[in-house]
This record gives sequence, structure tokens and C-alpha cells, in this order.
Amino acid sequence: MFDEDFILKWLDEGTIDHAQAEKMKEDLAEYKRERRSKKQIVAFSTIGAILIGIGAILFVASNWEKIGNTVKVLLLVGTTVGVHYAGYRLKYEQQKYPRLGSALVLLSALLFGASLFLIAQIYNINANNSTLVLIWILGVFPLIYGYRSASIAGLCSLLFYLWVSLLYRESPDLDKLISIWDLYLISGISIYFLGVLNGLTEKVKHAETPFKFMGLQAALFALFAHTFKLGEYQPDKIVPVIYAILGILFLAVLLPKPLRERLIGFQADASMSIVALLMAGITLTTIYIPASEETYMVLFNVIFLGLLTLLLYAGYSTENIGIINTAMFWFVLLIFARYFDFFWELLPRSLFFMLGGLVLLVISVVLERKRRELKVQFSGGEQ
Amino acid sequence: MKQKQIFYLTIVFWLLIFSGFILFKEYTLRTGTEILLKTEPIDPRDLFRGDYVTLNYEISTLDLDEIPAEDPYFDYNDRIYLALTLEDGYGVPKKIYRNPPDDELFLKGTVKQLIYDWEEDEDSLIAEEPRVKELRVEYGIESYFVPEGRGIEIERQQWTGGEGVDVKVVVDKYGNAVAESLLIDGQELEI
Repeated sequence: MFDEDFILKWLDEGTIDHAQAEKMKEDLAEYKRERRSKKQIVAFSTIGAILIGIGAILFVASNWEKIGNTVKVLLLVGTTVGVHYAGYRLKYEQQKYPRLGSALVLLSALLFGASLFLIAQIYNINANNSTLVLIWILGVFPLIYGYRSASIAGLCSLLFYLWVSLLYRESPDLDKLISIWDLYLISGISIYFLGVLNGLTEKVKHAETPFKFMGLQAALFALFAHTFKLGEYQPDKIVPVIYAILGILFLAVLLPKPLRERLIGFQADASMSIVALLMAGITLTTIYIPASEETYMVLFNVIFLGLLTLLLYAGYSTENIGIINTAMFWFVLLIFARYFDFFWELLPRSLFFMLGGLVLLVISVVLERKRRELKVQFSGGEQ
Repeated sequence: MKQKQIFYLTIVFWLLIFSGFILFKEYTLRTGTEILLKTEPIDPRDLFRGDYVTLNYEISTLDLDEIPAEDPYFDYNDRIYLALTLEDGYGVPKKIYRNPPDDELFLKGTVKQLIYDWEEDEDSLIAEEPRVKELRVEYGIESYFVPEGRGIEIERQQWTGGEGVDVKVVVDKYGNAVAESLLIDGQELEI
């Protein structure tokens, strides 16, 4: 995007006169105001929809006793359909409030889940049933493509992790096959890969960013957990196979030039492919030559730091402030965690807290300054 | 596909899911047989559905020495059909089948744990192939949802009440069951 520096440069060069420069400055300011306002509407309406959705789920959870079951079902199912209709009307038919319409469609997707839980509650269907969450995902997943909804793509990714967690909790045999952190890492890389696939086709490109963002967070979370002492690490033979398949799928998309050129964040995609292939190698080696807890801890710390560095590079190369913020956030968390690990027992506690506080203050100042510089650089002066 | 078609398809799809759930359970409730099952509840909480009591039935553990089984070889997650006889309204286990029995009242369940029994010789070595002694079975009726805060109260009643807690369960001809109500000391719990 061009900014005021360009206008001044063109003015100096004589490409434009003062009147044109003034007009361009006004138009630019108006454009920025408009963009800010649109972002605010999206943020407020989405947060509003999420709060109402959570409220509806909690309302179901309180199992309010005064209303009969039939009325409860009619009330919640009716609200779900009604809100969905209102969202559809505002976004597609009237087109006056498309952002509010999108938020209402998201709300209806949340209410769909609340209605499912209500019906399950009325008929006393077994608790913590991952099947219910899977039905919720299946029920709302088509909307990602039907309505080109990025927010529902985000919701489906979140529900996917919830489903994975519930499934793991409900299936006692699954922990013999795979550790929960490997399962999260595989899920994160898979969701990220789904984002990559969406990025290849113009028609479904809207789902690329939410899938990639959610996948990246889950993958970083799982890798971060790996940086702690996890006890004995014993992956089953299927685990390296899954990692290898994911890595190969990534390569199949990232290596051919025509496909690669369609992706907005190739460098970040490449770093996820490296993680998948590295994990395939580590888990395969572990099966035949298991190492000590300390070795794994050091290894995963190095991998995690390497990934964060790659992501910082990717964010900087593609001018993506989101990736840079993500990398910095996890970097601070890693420093925090290692600080507690290494120094807790070495220092008297008062000194520990004072030094810790000082270190964090310095880090936050440095990171904030760096972040601002990057943001200014990317957005052309907008902070 | 136009947005209008997507809208109609979404509504129809969602209503089909809701009505599928409701009709499946309503069929059991309207056509099934009422039985009572003895249980010992505890009160956990569900993130989405609030307070509930976990119902651990007497028939959740099946002793294969007492209840005959059509086929004594079981695996984790096996489907079983527990035939019941009615004694004073209570469902009492009669026989374990691998396929739905004809003309009998039965509950459909899934094996969730196998408890083995083995004989040791003088050197504490296992003398014979271990055999399955007990089965832990789930019937899909192990949760009963109650209004917020009532879970602890029900648990307390269960400890102070002499008779314990029973559950009125409705079972249809396919072995599907729905927990209809809780009975404390023989009195149906008012929610």
C-alpha cells in the first residue's frame, strides 16, 4: 500500500502538483479511517456473537428447570434457525449490514452446538461425548465454503482440537498409540496443511488464514509442551508414518513452482513442512534408539527455537505482522519457562523474582520497540 | 450454488440432525419397556451440559461366573446384548449374547474393560491361559443431567437414604435405552 512518503516523493519529483498531493492525502486519510472502522465493526460484532454463543451454552449447562423440555428445544432450535436467517438476510439479501450478517451466521453456528448439547442433556446422553462435537463440526463445516466464512473456519479448527482432546480422554487405548502432545502437533500441522490447500484455489482462499493461524498456534503449543521434561517418550510405529505422510504432502505442494507461487506465506509453510519431516525422523529414531529425558528436552528446545527463528524470518519476508507477533509471543513464553526451570532452585526467591521481573521488563521493551518498527514498516506509518 | 440454496440446505441439514436425535430417543421412550436398575451415583460436572450424576449400575459389571455368556471370548469395545428378566420391576441379568436375542428384553452395551482371572502355581507363575472373569460394560445411560447444584444434593441423599438410588430406564426392542428418571428411596426425583 502506498503512503504519505510516496505522495511527498512524487511532489518533490514534480510528478504531481500541490493540489493533487492534498487530494491524495485526503483520500488516503479517508481510506484509512474507513478501513479502521470496518475492522472495528468486524471485531465488535464477532466478539458480541461469541459472547452470546457462550452465554447460550452456559444457559444450557445451568439446566434451567422452570421450562418444559419441548419448549426448551423449540426455543433454542427456533433461535438458531432465526439467527441464521437474520444473518443470511443481512449479508446476502439486504446487503446493508454484511459484517453484522457474518457475525450472526457465526452466532447461529454456536447456537447449533448449544442446541445439540441441550438435546443430549434432555435425553441424558453420556457426558463428554466426542461424537457430539464431531456432529457440531460436521453441521457447521459446509458453511465455511457455502458462505465463504473465515470466522466459521476458525470455529471449526477450535472444535477440532476440542474433539481431539475429548476423543483422547474417552479412548484409554489411544495413549498407548500416541502421546497427547504428538496428537496435538499432528492436528496442528494437519489444520495448517488444510489452510495451505485452501490457499491454492482462489474460490476458497478466504479459509487459508484462519486455518493456518489456528494450525500454527496448536503446533507451537504442542511443540512448546515437548520442550519440558515429559517423562518417557515412546511413540508407536504409526506416529513417524503420520508425520512422514504430512511432510511428503507438504513437499508435494511446496516443491512445484506453479503451486508454490499461489501461496501467500511460502516461508512459514516451509517451516511447518520441516517440523513434520523432523518429527518423522525423531519419532522413528526414538522407536529403535530411545534417548534420555534430558536429550529430548534439549532437542525439542532447539527445534522450538529454530522454528520461532524461521517464523520470524517468514513474517519479516512476507511482511506478515501476525506471524511476527505469534513468534514473539511464544519466544517470551519459552524464555519464561526456561527461566523458571533453570533458576528456581539456584537463587534465593526474592532475588529470583527481582531478576526475573527485570529480565522480562527489558525483553518486553526490546520486543515492543521491534514490533513497532516492523508494524510501521509494514503498514506505511499506521500504528 | 446460490446463497439462497445454501441457506435452505443448511436449515434442512440442521433440522434433520436435531430431529434425528430427538426421534431416535423418542422412539425408545414411546415404544420401550420400563425397567428399574440399581445404581450408585456420583456428581461430576460437564463443561457444556452442567451438573450430572454418573450412574454406575449393578449391571455395569458382569460376573461371567454368575451370568452365562453365549460366547466366553470378549475383546475391548465388543458389542454385547444383555438379556434381562423383570423381578418386581427391576431388570435382572439373565444371559449375555453376541447377537440380539429373539423375543427377550435386552440391553445393548459395549465392553469397556476386561477383568481376568488366572491361576498361579507354587512358583507364582501363571499356570493356565488367563480367562475373562468380569466385564465392565457401558450402555449409554451412565449420565443423568440435573439442574445446577442438584448433583451434590442427590449424592448426599444417596448416602443418607437407606434404599439408595434407582434409575427408571426405558428399553426399546433393539436394546437402545434412555434413562428416564431417578428414584431416591423409591420416590421419583422432582426436577
